[in-house]
Amino acid sequence: MSTMKTTRDVKGVGVAIPRPDGPEKVTGRVQYVADIQPKGLLHAKLLRSPHAHAKILSIDTSAAKALPGVRAVITAKDIPHLKKKAPTRAHAVLAIDRAVFVGQPVAAVAADELAIAEEALDLIKVEYQPLPVAVDPLKAMQPGAPPVADAGTEADTSEALAHSAVAIAKSDAPAKAVNISQQARLTRGEPAKGFAESDHVLEKTYRVPMVHQGYLEPHAVLAEWDRNGLLTLWASTQGSFNTRSEVSDVLGIPENRIRVIPVECGGGFGGKIRALCEPITAVLAQVTKRPVRYVMTRKEELEAGMPAPQVIIKLKTGVKRDGTLMALDAETVIDSGAFSGTVLAVSAVFLGSMYKWPAFDIRGYEVLTHKPSVAAYRAPVAPQTIFAIESHMEQIARDLGLDSVEFRMRHLIQPGDPMVNGQPWQSNGARQVLSRIAEHPHWKTRKQWVAAAGKNGKRRGVGLALGGWLGGLQPTGATVRLNPDGSLAVLTGQVDIAGTNIALAQIAASAFGVDTDEVRITTGDTDVAPVTGLSAGSKTVYTVGTAVLQAAEDARRQAFDIAAAELEASVHDLELVDGKITVRGMPDKGITLATIGKKGNLYMSKTPPVLGKANPAFSQQAPGFAAQLARIEVDPDTGEVTIHDFVIVQDVGKAINPIGVEGQMQGGAVQSLGMALTEGLMFDDSGRLTNPSLLDYRKLTAADLPNLETIIVEVPSPAGPFGARGVGEPPIIPAPAAIGNALHDAVGARLTELPLSPERIALAVANGGKA
Amino acid sequence: VARHVLRCTVNGEPVEALVQPYTTLLDALREDLGLTGPKEGCGTGDCGACSVHVDGKLVASCLMLAMQARDRKIRTIEGLGTAETLHPLQDAFVRHGVPQCGFCIPGVLMAAAALLEEHPRPTEEQIRYGIAGNLCRCTGYTKMVTAITEAAGILASKGSAR
Repeated sequence: MSTMKTTRDVKGVGVAIPRPDGPEKVTGRVQYVADIQPKGLLHAKLLRSPHAHAKILSIDTSAAKALPGVRAVITAKDIPHLKKKAPTRAHAVLAIDRAVFVGQPVAAVAADELAIAEEALDLIKVEYQPLPVAVDPLKAMQPGAPPVADAGTEADTSEALAHSAVAIAKSDAPAKAVNISQQARLTRGEPAKGFAESDHVLEKTYRVPMVHQGYLEPHAVLAEWDRNGLLTLWASTQGSFNTRSEVSDVLGIPENRIRVIPVECGGGFGGKIRALCEPITAVLAQVTKRPVRYVMTRKEELEAGMPAPQVIIKLKTGVKRDGTLMALDAETVIDSGAFSGTVLAVSAVFLGSMYKWPAFDIRGYEVLTHKPSVAAYRAPVAPQTIFAIESHMEQIARDLGLDSVEFRMRHLIQPGDPMVNGQPWQSNGARQVLSRIAEHPHWKTRKQWVAAAGKNGKRRGVGLALGGWLGGLQPTGATVRLNPDGSLAVLTGQVDIAGTNIALAQIAASAFGVDTDEVRITTGDTDVAPVTGLSAGSKTVYTVGTAVLQAAEDARRQAFDIAAAELEASVHDLELVDGKITVRGMPDKGITLATIGKKGNLYMSKTPPVLGKANPAFSQQAPGFAAQLARIEVDPDTGEVTIHDFVIVQDVGKAINPIGVEGQMQGGAVQSLGMALTEGLMFDDSGRLTNPSLLDYRKLTAADLPNLETIIVEVPSPAGPFGARGVGEPPIIPAPAAIGNALHDAVGARLTELPLSPERIALAVANGGKA
Repeated sequence: VARHVLRCTVNGEPVEALVQPYTTLLDALREDLGLTGPKEGCGTGDCGACSVHVDGKLVASCLMLAMQARDRKIRTIEGLGTAETLHPLQDAFVRHGVPQCGFCIPGVLMAAAALLEEHPRPTEEQIRYGIAGNLCRCTGYTKMVTAITEAAGILASKGSAR
């Protein structure tokens, strides 16, 4: 009996299982959109504005149309449903009469070959009248700045809804300046009194530039219409149902006429949630009656993708000499680029309520500028916010001679404490991850390690930071079917990028009571899959995992009901052991899952097929916290930083698949180490990107990094499947602050602008530690 | 423009394709020869996703013209191993759960294979520099380095890096 597997000890949740699509991926057989080559394929290219702001006086496409091999050349005039006042970037399919950022599509071409399409772009004549530009958000928000949006354009708050971050009250004050598209203000207590009674007031402005999500696969889509007027899109997307809705809205096609097939997604990180090139490709396919494929170049991605916003946070704090928090005043300016669509709430929550500030005044502004409009990037606005508050907390502790961990721990929120909006913090492991990292030998021995700096002239520093993510929510569905061979077929619409499908299979296995090897999970398209949310917001395992769990339990109940009838026993007396449902204590009296599966699949059978389903909606978030520690060496002459060690401690609630969890922790950390040290989209005064290549937009390579140590902490969430919390977002959050704090430890300079480039560091060192 | 006949060896087999003088080796492999394992991540040689071997040397195939590969031996990810018989590097990548989105993986594996041909027992630093021309945005590289180290040990004990 001891070798038999009951529900409790199947190979399921908590086991490190490599994802099953590994062999396909390492042999190059997995197909991404650009790998699909249907017969009659046409290639699309977009003509993009060379100006950040210009009136389009005329467009002459006649020469391009006359080029042999060109099948269509279209401008905004050729698209009937285009809204004049585009509320989102997706709606701005082609510029109508004004271009509002460098790289905005103005005309589109479909041709037999890519080279022909490229040649056709050169033959399109556009007459522009350049207009004044607003590039710096602080200037763009002043009255009188050149306007970006047409008057009366609505703000886009769907990003905030998609991430279900947290609701905050919108400010009633009307926007005075033309380019402020969203604003909010939250206050508590009497900040002025708090500052007056403070012994230590610290004011700094933190700046993080626009950064690109950096997915290796550029945006790509393939569109084809069939003879019945149905549009099929093969898309590299983080959410096929969302892509369907957006394309439907932009082009005025009912959703039931659109099928989105989610193709393997070569990385998204938030940048492939919103529609971008799907609508224009669909239009080209409609006009030409041929399949049309569009793949962005890397230059187009960097110039005209949907990066993370530039964030500027002016932060002022007041504390007593003993470290008692008194008041906080903060102003967050989020540079949204040419279209609205950022999240204001995240910054307010973590500035004002990760630590217990008794009084605060927090203002947030979303500002439009003549730059590419932005989108989500893994924990939108959280790394930038944590860079501000965690740099600040460290500095306060140092100024007052307090232990920086004890200072944080003393003021850190507990579950139940109010967030800035008054809602209570849900159960979370913030304190546990901070305690755990403070116990790490690298932290305990930091003074000795710094003192042992070598004779190479490099200086050493150790820093840490804490950060969190509230966790996204979205209604979702799943089905679990019992196959005639006794295995399970799980169906969702979930796009698997990070390895969530194996985790979902493990959840189904544990919930039903079979090994994960007996579960196969399929990601269906929008025609066949139950409605499934975005792969975003650290919510796949938390929400889709719950749907799969419930569907598997439903399927198990159905199988047990069938077994009870077949065995003439009460379901309460049955157990599932090794793929066979038996009467407890009578192992010979049983029926295999395969038999039940077969009976549900037979001609003239009276046994119903087992089909478990669940379609939950959610209300309770499960915040995930991570703490990170960096040991760095700094060359004071060149400003070069070497990351010697990096430790990631994260509360994941329950590690459904430890391999996947570690991969998320390491990958997320490296993205924000890039944000900390090398990355930034740099625009000149005319709004033109000055570093539109991966040579000049420097992402970290293997040679820039050490092995990253991961420590998983499990503080179960009350509502998540098996106690799981979202895993994807927390690891990208603390690193820039941890590096900034380590840098301060090493050279005595508090740098407040990312990236912490060699120039900035060397200059700060040369200035005697002043940034 | 007149097309040219490209004759070369790809993954051990002689092949022929009609290519434009401006066609890159990457495009010839992907579009004309149907080998879509090599990926285009940047088109400027900065990301390494298009990495292949040309006469045993690691090359960014997006930076090489197809006609420059005339009479030469090309090896792509499709020639490294098969799903049934994975190359030890591929096998280690699967077991350690390296691939996430997977887009960079063919290029990383070709870089790693070239590294092991040159240094059958690489140090961690040699591995990190060996794949420094390959950008990965998902993994943070840690599991990659572990997998390459392990595969190197297995290959070295077999006495061959092929």
